[in-house]
Amino acid sequence: MKAINPKRTVSSEAGVFELINTVIIAVLVILCLAPLLHIASMSLSSNRAILSGEVTVFPLEINFEAYQKIFQDASMIRSLLLSLGLTASYTALSMLMTVFAAYPLSKRLKGGKYVMFLIVFTMFFSGGTIPDYLLIRGLHLTNHLGSLLLPTMINPFFMIILITFLRSLPSGLLEAAEIDGSSHFHTLTRIVLPLSLPALATLSLFYAVGRWNGFMDALMYITDPKLYPIQLKLYQVVMNSMTNDPLSMQGDQVVSVLPESIKAASIMFATVPILLVYPWLQKYFISGVMIGAVKE
Amino acid sequence: MRKRALSYALLATMSIGFLGGCSSGSGNEADGAASADAGKQVTLKVGIFDRGNAPAGYTATDNYWTDYVQKNFGDPNHIKVEFVPIPRNDASDKVNVMMTSGDAPDIVFASTNVLTPYGYAKDGGLLPLDSLIDQYGPNLKMYLGDALDVGKVDGVQYSIPGRRVNTGKYENLIRKDWLDKLGLPMPQSTEQVYETLKAFKEKDPGQTGGKVIPLGLSLTPASLEPIVWSFIQDGLTDEQRYTLSENLGYPLLLPGHKDAVKFLNKLYNEGLVSPDFALDKDEKQVFQDVMNGKVGMYSDNLGNAYTDNPGIAKLLTQNIPGANLVPVDPYTNNAGKHLKPEYDPTGFFLMVPASSKRGVEAIKYLDWMAQPDVLLTLMNGIEGEDYTLVDGLPQRTQAEETSKRMFNSADMAMITQGEDFGSNEKNWAAAAAAVPEQFRQSVIDAYKMSLTDTTRYANFTTPIEAENKYMPALRDIYDQLIVKSIMAKAADFDKVYEDLLKDYMASGGDAIVKERTEAYKAMAK
Amino acid sequence: MKQLWLYFLRNWQLYVLLLGPVAYFLVFKYGPMYGILIAFQDFNLFRGVMGSPWVGFDVFREVFDMSAFYKALRNTFMLNLTDLLFSFPAPILLALLLNELSRARFKKWAQTILYLPHFLSWVIIGGIMLQVFATNTGIVNLLLGHLGIDPIPFLTNKYNWLITYLVVGVWQSAGWGTIIYLAAITGINSELYEAAAVDGAGRFRKMWSITLPGIRPTVVVLLILKIGEIVQISFDRPYVIGNVTVLDFSEVISTFVYKTGVQTADFSLATAVGLFQAVVGIILLLGANRIAKKITGNGVF
Repeated sequence: MKAINPKRTVSSEAGVFELINTVIIAVLVILCLAPLLHIASMSLSSNRAILSGEVTVFPLEINFEAYQKIFQDASMIRSLLLSLGLTASYTALSMLMTVFAAYPLSKRLKGGKYVMFLIVFTMFFSGGTIPDYLLIRGLHLTNHLGSLLLPTMINPFFMIILITFLRSLPSGLLEAAEIDGSSHFHTLTRIVLPLSLPALATLSLFYAVGRWNGFMDALMYITDPKLYPIQLKLYQVVMNSMTNDPLSMQGDQVVSVLPESIKAASIMFATVPILLVYPWLQKYFISGVMIGAVKE
Repeated sequence: MRKRALSYALLATMSIGFLGGCSSGSGNEADGAASADAGKQVTLKVGIFDRGNAPAGYTATDNYWTDYVQKNFGDPNHIKVEFVPIPRNDASDKVNVMMTSGDAPDIVFASTNVLTPYGYAKDGGLLPLDSLIDQYGPNLKMYLGDALDVGKVDGVQYSIPGRRVNTGKYENLIRKDWLDKLGLPMPQSTEQVYETLKAFKEKDPGQTGGKVIPLGLSLTPASLEPIVWSFIQDGLTDEQRYTLSENLGYPLLLPGHKDAVKFLNKLYNEGLVSPDFALDKDEKQVFQDVMNGKVGMYSDNLGNAYTDNPGIAKLLTQNIPGANLVPVDPYTNNAGKHLKPEYDPTGFFLMVPASSKRGVEAIKYLDWMAQPDVLLTLMNGIEGEDYTLVDGLPQRTQAEETSKRMFNSADMAMITQGEDFGSNEKNWAAAAAAVPEQFRQSVIDAYKMSLTDTTRYANFTTPIEAENKYMPALRDIYDQLIVKSIMAKAADFDKVYEDLLKDYMASGGDAIVKERTEAYKAMAK
Repeated sequence: MKQLWLYFLRNWQLYVLLLGPVAYFLVFKYGPMYGILIAFQDFNLFRGVMGSPWVGFDVFREVFDMSAFYKALRNTFMLNLTDLLFSFPAPILLALLLNELSRARFKKWAQTILYLPHFLSWVIIGGIMLQVFATNTGIVNLLLGHLGIDPIPFLTNKYNWLITYLVVGVWQSAGWGTIIYLAAITGINSELYEAAAVDGAGRFRKMWSITLPGIRPTVVVLLILKIGEIVQISFDRPYVIGNVTVLDFSEVISTFVYKTGVQTADFSLATAVGLFQAVVGIILLLGANRIAKKITGNGVF
């Protein structure tokens, strides 16, 4: 985002600000990095060191057993691939539908207000778990990846954000297009979407992360372990042995409990792929993308 | 635009799902008893916990034992046994949804709490099993014995309680090497425990540099129940037991409870217990402190200290050479007895939903499992491959394949929690055989101690509605009472305790006592 | 009438676009909506919505009679309002600071790392928090101890706990929240900055008069949505961070429903409370929207 401040002022006031700002951000970066380092260290440490509480942000008694175990497990890899595919298709589908909804509604269309209310209403009112389940079952989507794609296809929250972005586009350009007689489809694909790349990148990231991290729907709708997304597997691994309320504890003594290092390694395994998405999207956040698109 | 076409297709089929799912109301036995025509294969769906611990190559629903069941039970009986995974941590949510949509497996189990089958039975969701068991379950009946009665609601067999073999609940542990170093005897009474803890604190035999925690404590029943119960006074009448105990686990209303909390209050104010115990909701901190050699005494679920995972005693001896953690049974009540709670002899409650058409097959399956040789195999694997018999007790081999194979065998053998070898002594020896040599005697001692002077909760065979309604909220109020009373200044103790007790009674405690009193009167008649 | 027809002819493509989304909401959101009726029934799991007996407003009466409900409601308001005060402006501020960083590589890395906490589940955060904030064994108090300061009960005194709750919330969400604002900042016409620089405007001047107004529509819309959510509260955060010593503050609607509705399988009660939250939420949202539109001209509708 250099473009925003093209001329770096060399005055001492600016230098001091830059320094303070850098220090603040650096401190925050350390605070945000520490927990992940902690988990990464646990995944590489011995069970003894972890349980004795000796592991902080550096691994102790380093070994790779946990990762070996995970990579040996074909079902983990399969779940990872499944989640990748699921996330990609979900994001594409959701973005398509969200744009379809947001573009007309951003135009203050006649009747749009009612549609908007219809949608906003669902942000607050819902039927609840049981009717949701009955619907999915009625559509024969249980144990089907469709149950993880369709029911949450449009997030009204994200749609409203997109509408806000679309409304703040320079109106002159759009009006010019309309006067030129270009159709709405044409305006959308040739002018509006290229202009909205930062917003589209942002929402894609939100959808992708939401799908990647979500597992409650899979917990309810998927019963075939072959169709478990990675986060559902991770959830079970992390929660393994955590059933500690007195009701469920009784009689649970004879089960194999996973070592802490495997839990930590599973968290790393399931988190790192989605973390890689952002740097890849970052290029869309550079101002100038927009200007370039307009001049096209 | 293809996507939208899809949406229309969905809209068209919507009506099917819209108001459906209202499975036929109260089940009648004739439905469930409709057996398969001879020769025609039917499908029996069996719920199984998915704990996320399946080794590579296996899943909770497709593994060595599911194959074994199909081959040895399914194929000969023309039944396809299909296992339905139930996520362990959300078992009741998932089971509720499956129940209401009629998708529940033919054998469901979700919890060890007797309130679960009560609730379902009350709503007409369970198949009565009396005649099915009479007809198809002779082995099952023999194996479960009296435990079956716990599954009755108002005299009707609505659920089959799995049998719990070892009913011992807790163990108390102490650092024997610390005692030896200070020349102290094993504490034999609560008074002596206090003296011992003080000595630990003052003399710091573990040389922890002032970080010694004489008594490790957490906010879990495992830490608190053994101490709290030990104060309950001797000679309770049946009426007291029935009307004043509740599904809570803790004996809040029984005489002696307040003394117990007062004792813990004293220990807390003298710095003898884990200072942050109120934050330790899962014993993690206590375990960590024990393993690091800071703790002198603590209590835990029976058998937990010596098993491989988390491996508390094992890691302690690794961290602190010479450390010796042994079981002890020191707490005494007003009559000098070592009162402590014991489990009901029941495990998970197995249920057959009223909507199930496979009641017969379900009982046949459980009956097949109840045969001694089948049960032995499910619990231990194949002789020669997975175990060898030593002194008549199976000793597990160290083979990689065995540990993979046995990952969920305890869940597969759903009619039992633990294995019965015929006598307590043998069962204890079997439990000891599963831990490293050096800890075996300790395990046997701990199991033995866990069964001295025990008491069981007084449960009725009719549901206490108020318990179902108020218990989850009351549990939090109880925890609050425990924590705030223990952490109160000695002078404020009475007020804090009484105020929270009032809060407890007003928030449902009174309603439970009232209902239990009525139920007791009805029962005594 | 004819005008309407012309309008439709001109804009039919827009209506076609809306068909898919509207069908989606009708099927997947309004399809199961009948579940709301459970709040007016004595719901029986096995009889379903069609078969369960009707009880009118009895369930609501029961809920409104419970003192625990009001306490949970009060705490929900309290936690959400204080959270709004801190967690809402934090990402805006952070986005402005990030935007001012001039070293591109550092900026890129800093952004990526600041998002990390968002990816940790509350269960994991809760475990780490104990190690950091516990009164006697937490890292922070051990450090304070070395400096000769008495331990601070971050988690067991309810006022301290509230602050911890807020700080951890900011830590967990601020970095992630910057994404929207950074995207909005990207949309600001860079010619405005150049013009301002020519006029001799300083860094703060530009922030105040160009960047902030540039992202104002986004800020306003997000604020309205946040206000609509003020009676909703997630279960995980207060439950995992909370403990019995601070139940006075940490008992919120979600945990209340968990105890009185979910664990007891009382679906009617859980649904009734949810319905109450929804009604209050949508009223707040519409109100906030109206006010925001009057003041700033921006709004959701």
